[in-house]
Amino acid sequence: MSGPAGALTILDGVDVALPRGESLAITGESGSGKTTLLGLLAGLDRPTSGSITLAAHCLDDLDEEARARLRRHLVGFVFQNFHLLPALDAQENVMLPLELEGRADAGERAAAALSRVGLAARARHYPHQLSGGEQQRVALARAFVHAPKILFADEPTGNLDQRTGGGVGDLLFDLNREHGTTLVLVTHDPALAARCAHQLVLQLGRVIERSTT
Amino acid sequence: MKPLAFAARSLRREFRHAELATLAAALVLAVAALAAVATLASRVEQAIVASAAELLGGDLAISASRPLPADFVNTAQADGLATSQQVEFNSMLFAGARSRLSEVRANDARFPLRGSLVVQGADGGTQLAHAPPRGRVYVDPEVLQALQIRLGDQLQLGDGEFAVAATIVQSPDSGDLLRFAPRAVMNIDDALASGLLGPGSRARHRLLVAGAPDAVTRFASWARAHLPDGAELTTVADAQQNLRQAFERGQAFLRMAALLAALLSGIAVALGAQRFARRKVEEVALLRCLGARRGEILAALLLELGLLALPACLLGLALGIGLQQAVFGLAGSLLPGPAPSLPWAPPLAAFAVGVAVLFGFALPPLLRLRDVEPVRVFRQEVTPRVRRFDALYLLPLAVGAGLILAGAGSLRLAGTLAAGFAGIALVTAALGILLLWLARAGSARLGGALRFGLANLARRRVLTLLQAGALALGLTALALLGVIGPSLLSHWRAELPADTPNWFALNIQPAQRSDFEHALAGLGAQNLNLLPMAVGKLVAINGQAPHARDSAGRRAAGRPDGEVRLSWSQALPEANTVLAGHWFGPAPGRPELSVDRSWRDRFDLKLGDTLTLRIGEHELSATVTSFRGVDWESFRANFFLMLDPASGASLPHSYIGSFHIAPGSAADLAALSREFPNLSLVDISQILDRVRDIIAQVSGAVTWVLGFSLLAGLLVLLAALAATADERRFEAALLRALGAARRQVSVAVLAEFAALGLIAGMIAIAGAAALGSVLASEVLRMHGYVPPFAPLVGIVLGAALVIAVAGWAGSLRIARSSPMGVLRRA
Repeated sequence: MSGPAGALTILDGVDVALPRGESLAITGESGSGKTTLLGLLAGLDRPTSGSITLAAHCLDDLDEEARARLRRHLVGFVFQNFHLLPALDAQENVMLPLELEGRADAGERAAAALSRVGLAARARHYPHQLSGGEQQRVALARAFVHAPKILFADEPTGNLDQRTGGGVGDLLFDLNREHGTTLVLVTHDPALAARCAHQLVLQLGRVIERSTT
Repeated sequence: MKPLAFAARSLRREFRHAELATLAAALVLAVAALAAVATLASRVEQAIVASAAELLGGDLAISASRPLPADFVNTAQADGLATSQQVEFNSMLFAGARSRLSEVRANDARFPLRGSLVVQGADGGTQLAHAPPRGRVYVDPEVLQALQIRLGDQLQLGDGEFAVAATIVQSPDSGDLLRFAPRAVMNIDDALASGLLGPGSRARHRLLVAGAPDAVTRFASWARAHLPDGAELTTVADAQQNLRQAFERGQAFLRMAALLAALLSGIAVALGAQRFARRKVEEVALLRCLGARRGEILAALLLELGLLALPACLLGLALGIGLQQAVFGLAGSLLPGPAPSLPWAPPLAAFAVGVAVLFGFALPPLLRLRDVEPVRVFRQEVTPRVRRFDALYLLPLAVGAGLILAGAGSLRLAGTLAAGFAGIALVTAALGILLLWLARAGSARLGGALRFGLANLARRRVLTLLQAGALALGLTALALLGVIGPSLLSHWRAELPADTPNWFALNIQPAQRSDFEHALAGLGAQNLNLLPMAVGKLVAINGQAPHARDSAGRRAAGRPDGEVRLSWSQALPEANTVLAGHWFGPAPGRPELSVDRSWRDRFDLKLGDTLTLRIGEHELSATVTSFRGVDWESFRANFFLMLDPASGASLPHSYIGSFHIAPGSAADLAALSREFPNLSLVDISQILDRVRDIIAQVSGAVTWVLGFSLLAGLLVLLAALAATADERRFEAALLRALGAARRQVSVAVLAEFAALGLIAGMIAIAGAAALGSVLASEVLRMHGYVPPFAPLVGIVLGAALVIAVAGWAGSLRIARSSPMGVLRRA
């Protein structure tokens, strides 16, 4: 990309392949390009050069509309700041992806997903009435409710204390296993990263370390 | 922490963000609109007062049956007021064997103090005049015809011979619509010398006063306290029934427009401040965390707002004055006389009101920032709570109520408007909840994005209700200004149609009636309505000598000497409405009377009271069986007292009537008055034209003023849309990240805005129509006004469509933007 000081390379020579159903942790210092890479992999943005294939769909020639269509069916998201819509209650937030697909059973499925994350009793609560951990569990329910093939998580425990973060991490991997979802997560948490099958460490936009456990 | 330095730095930094710029723009527009409206209204008012003064001949007149004590002139002059004295009396004019009754005005050299006396000499040229030189008179052209003389000829008046120097083209009159005889103007010294003003002359002595408004007001209150018995004080405000009504209506219109501008500005400021406060939450939490005290933070916030407000209000002031100057330059020619000078009080008041509006409407959300806990810094994930009602929001309500009361000028108008707006708010809330419930229930049956949009609307309950309320209020104002205002104005104009009577005929004897009607019809006259008229005296009420409640009502209720004119008719005359009781049946057993409401108020009359009248040799006692409202603006012969026809027929009477005849028929009418020599024909087209002029001036000015208020209304619409812009932008980006197609986002937003616009629009149509009807009947006292529903529905639905399209167009940009922003938003 071009910035005030001329051309700026954010990611350079990053080459990643992740088989279906497996998990990848991207770690690295702040500003190393983790979030940018996540956004590119999820089809939220386009690289200036290079190629990305998501669940057998090549993203290179797709415009934003076509990528949005792919995301709707294939992808789920968990964000560091949860990003629940404040005007919607927990169940309505979980219903969102289903409503976008035009599913008639959005309400029932969202209720079931909330039960799965242990928040059935909080379905009618608004985000400001929930704790951080509860909000992230709602976000997890929203991420899995439409059974996406790939889940992208950006610092999913970054805003939570260690214990709550641990609980959310457990839930994330449980759901991942249940749904057979491919998981890509960006994290600073070495413990969370260690639970992924593959790890990638970035520094100044380059891969400096790869490992598979 | 140094609040001022901090505030200045914050302002410099934050001015680049939209909401402070929006707040400043709202203030600039608010003060500009207020200053322009108030200044323009004040100048137009001045011009209208000036034109009313022109008809009166001064700013104030006192008339009495005897010369006023010298105190009156001395007191007025001591306060720097100009004075002029005039004597009015009826006298016969003679030329050879011919004679004519005339209303004589004897003027001094200073007459008139306001307006002008215009005469036409033998050379055909017109010129301004004061009193004629001694030994000369000016007369109405009818006198020349009646006496068969020309300019330069002599006529006899009292003991003296006078040369007729010129005919009267225009003269400030005492404000009476009706003259019972043509006028003659003479020098007051001649009148005093002629013996015409001796005892029993029934002359009226008038003192005219003019000068600075403050001095006139001071003199008026002094004079009221010292008024001799039977004397009567007239100000420009009550110079003439019909002019006064036109004047009051004009004021009501202008006030309404200015008031709406102020209220709408307040709403725009409130919406902008709410957004500003939302953005400030994080910063306040951080400052609290770093050890700043609540007081310091509040001081910094208020200072920041003050630093923003001062230049914004000044800019608004300059803009407002410039705008009204431009408008006055364009429209000033509509106003009579020299342009009134620029008043400074209204723009300064606008500045003060601007500051009051800013703090009144912006304080509640800012004061709420005091409650932000420092712990918020550590719990940023906790989103700001949707605020419920609290007592702080009484502040803008109080400021709003204050504005309404100050702006409306009358409790009646203030009450009507306040009730109207409060009603709209309540109905909006009730209807909004109902419609949202319907939307929520109905959205389940709709498909895809449409369903999502409506569900979204239903889910944002509080915000939607607030938005619908603000939009409904804005649209109501737009509809009031765009449709109701102009239609009220045109309805008002239509009350004086082209065939409004422009001549009065008096003193038609019963035997002449059918010949006269026939002759008039032959001349193409229209709209002739003749009524019998008897002249008498009120002798007693319920057997007691009549006693008026106050002297102020005397003018409205006839002459102070107790002389009354009454009429009778089988049918209720046009321009009359029965307010209480019933109109006469076919043959009442005993005399019945219908009384105008000003007489009812003057004498505290009740239905069933008995009035005793002496008419010539007859004495007649009649029971009051109805009270009437009379439209004195109708330019018809109207009466305070109407008798049942059976009792009236036997009384000595003549006929009086008004008719419309094409301009330029003076020669035909002159021939008519030769045919009926006892007849008096009075041209009232001059007064009619003046009333039409005033209506044109006022409606022209009101249209300009409405334009400013309209801008304020548009600002509210923009502010209401901007209030949720951030939230929508983020939601759209999130939806895009979750895979929503651009079309889905757009359709959802379009559906949401269209529904919002529709809800607000429907409420606004009902609100504007109801408010318009109430304004027409209760405040402006117009009869038979029906709000024009088709244009009302058109403009409101059009505006709702614009809201939907504007919201949708705004979302297009959002829908195109990269959803990557969701990942980046902290």
